[in-house]
Amino acid sequence: MANIEALRQEARKLLEEGKVRTLIGYERGPSPWVSSPVFLKSADKVETLIWDPTCVQNLVRFLVDDKRRQAKEREPDKRPVALVVKGCDSRAVNVLLQEKFIDRSQVLVLGISCEKTGMADAKKLAKALKSKKFLAVEFGEGDTFLVTTAEGKVSLPADQVLAERCRECKANVPVISDVLIGDKTKRTPAKPFASVEPMESLSAEERANFWKEQFDRCIRCYACRSVCPMCYCEECVVDSINYAVTAETSAEEKAQKIRWIERSSEKSENIVYHLVRAVHLAGRCIDCAECERVCPMDIPVRFLNKKLEKDALALFGYEPGLEAGLPPLVSSFKDDDPQDFIR
Amino acid sequence: MNEEFEPRIVAFLCKWCSSAGSDLAGVSRMEYPSNVTPIQVMCSGSVSPLYIFSALNKGADGVLVSGCHPGDCHYIKGNMYARRRLALVKNLLEFIGLEPQRFRMSWVSAAEGLKYTLVIKDLVKELKPLGPQTKMRRKQ
Repeated sequence: MANIEALRQEARKLLEEGKVRTLIGYERGPSPWVSSPVFLKSADKVETLIWDPTCVQNLVRFLVDDKRRQAKEREPDKRPVALVVKGCDSRAVNVLLQEKFIDRSQVLVLGISCEKTGMADAKKLAKALKSKKFLAVEFGEGDTFLVTTAEGKVSLPADQVLAERCRECKANVPVISDVLIGDKTKRTPAKPFASVEPMESLSAEERANFWKEQFDRCIRCYACRSVCPMCYCEECVVDSINYAVTAETSAEEKAQKIRWIERSSEKSENIVYHLVRAVHLAGRCIDCAECERVCPMDIPVRFLNKKLEKDALALFGYEPGLEAGLPPLVSSFKDDDPQDFIR
Repeated sequence: MNEEFEPRIVAFLCKWCSSAGSDLAGVSRMEYPSNVTPIQVMCSGSVSPLYIFSALNKGADGVLVSGCHPGDCHYIKGNMYARRRLALVKNLLEFIGLEPQRFRMSWVSAAEGLKYTLVIKDLVKELKPLGPQTKMRRKQ
C-alpha cells in the first residue's frame, strides 16, 4: 500500500527547498467520503495531505488553469508545479505533453500507485454499507478496502465498491512520474471495455431510446466540459453566450461567428453537444470519468468516451496517454488505416 | 395522396475531386436523384464532425462526405486524416442508435462523374425505406 508518510515527506522536502511553486494534492473534504484538492505553498501544512480511496479527482485540470494564470502574470514564477497523480491522471499529463500544451519542466509529477485497488465509488460504498454510519475508508491488504464505520471495521472486497472505470483501468501505476510512491504492481483488467459491450449488443432502436432518455435530461451546464483536463480550448464551439445578433451585426460578423449550438431549450441539440464533446476527446480521453462524476443529471457520458477509446484501439491500435512522444490520434494517419466503410 | 418519401441528403464534396466529379456528372447530362444538397468544402479533411452532427440536427436524412482517393489529395494528406476521423464518427453515430446507412463516405475523383451518380443513387435507395431521420433532428 502506498505510504502517505512517504508522500508527505517528499512534499515537505520539495516545499522546504523551494523547488516547486505550488503542490497540488488531496485533503479531507467536508465529509469522510469526500476529498478535496489542496494547494500547498509552504511546508507547514503537508500533514493535511491524504491518500485514500476517496481521492477521485483528476488534479491535472489545475495544470490547465495554472497555465492560464501564469500567462497573465507580469513576472511569472518559473518554478514547476508539483502534482499528485494517480495512474489514470498521469496519462492525462502525458496527453497534455503530447499536445505540447504544457512543458515538461513546468510540472513535477508525484506519481502514486493505486496498486491492487483503485478509487471507491461513493454510491456503491453507501449501498454496500447499507445504513451503517460511515467514518473512513482506507486501502486494505491486497485488493480490499478497509472501511471504518460507527460499528467497527469492515473489510470489503474491491470488486464490490470499486469505481466502474477503475475496474477497466490499464494504468494503475503512473506511466510518467518524477517521484513514484507505492509498488509497481501492474494489474491488467480482464475486460477493459466491459461497460461498453452490453450497450453494443443492443439493437439500434434500443440504443437510440436509451440515449434519448439520457440526453433529454441534460441541462447543458457544461460541467463535464469544465472538469475535463483535455477541454482546454480558449473558445469552445458550443459557447455563444457573449454573442448577440443585433440590427448592427454585419453579415460578415454573423458568418464568422457561426452558432453551432444554441443554448436554448431544444433537446435535440443535447445530442449534438455530447457527440461533439466525445469526438473532441477521441484519442485523448484517458477515462478518469470526472465528466460522469460531476454530472448533476447522472448522464453516463463516460460511455461515449469509452466507445471511442475502444474504436481507436480496435481500428488504429492507439491508446491515449501511454507515450508522450507519439503523435495524437486524429492528427496522424497510417497508409493502411481501415477504409472498408468507404464505398 | 400517398407520396413516396424523398430523403434529403447533405453532401460535403471536396473542391478538387468530388465537386468536380459531380460537375462532370452534370455537364455530361447523367441523371441522378435530386435529393442531394451539395456543399463544397476545400478538402474532405476540413469536414469537422460538427458539420455532420449539425446537418443531421438541422434536418438531413443522410450525410455524404466525399473526397479524393487516397494519395490524390490536393493537400497531400487531408483525406487520410478525414478517413481516420470519420471512421470514429461513423461508429459513434451507430453507437447512439442512428442507422448506419445515414452516414456515408466515398472517394470520387474528378473523372468519376458516373461513380458520383451511382453513389447518390445507392444512397437514396438505402435511405428511402428508412423514412425520415428523427433521432437527431430538431423539432421546429
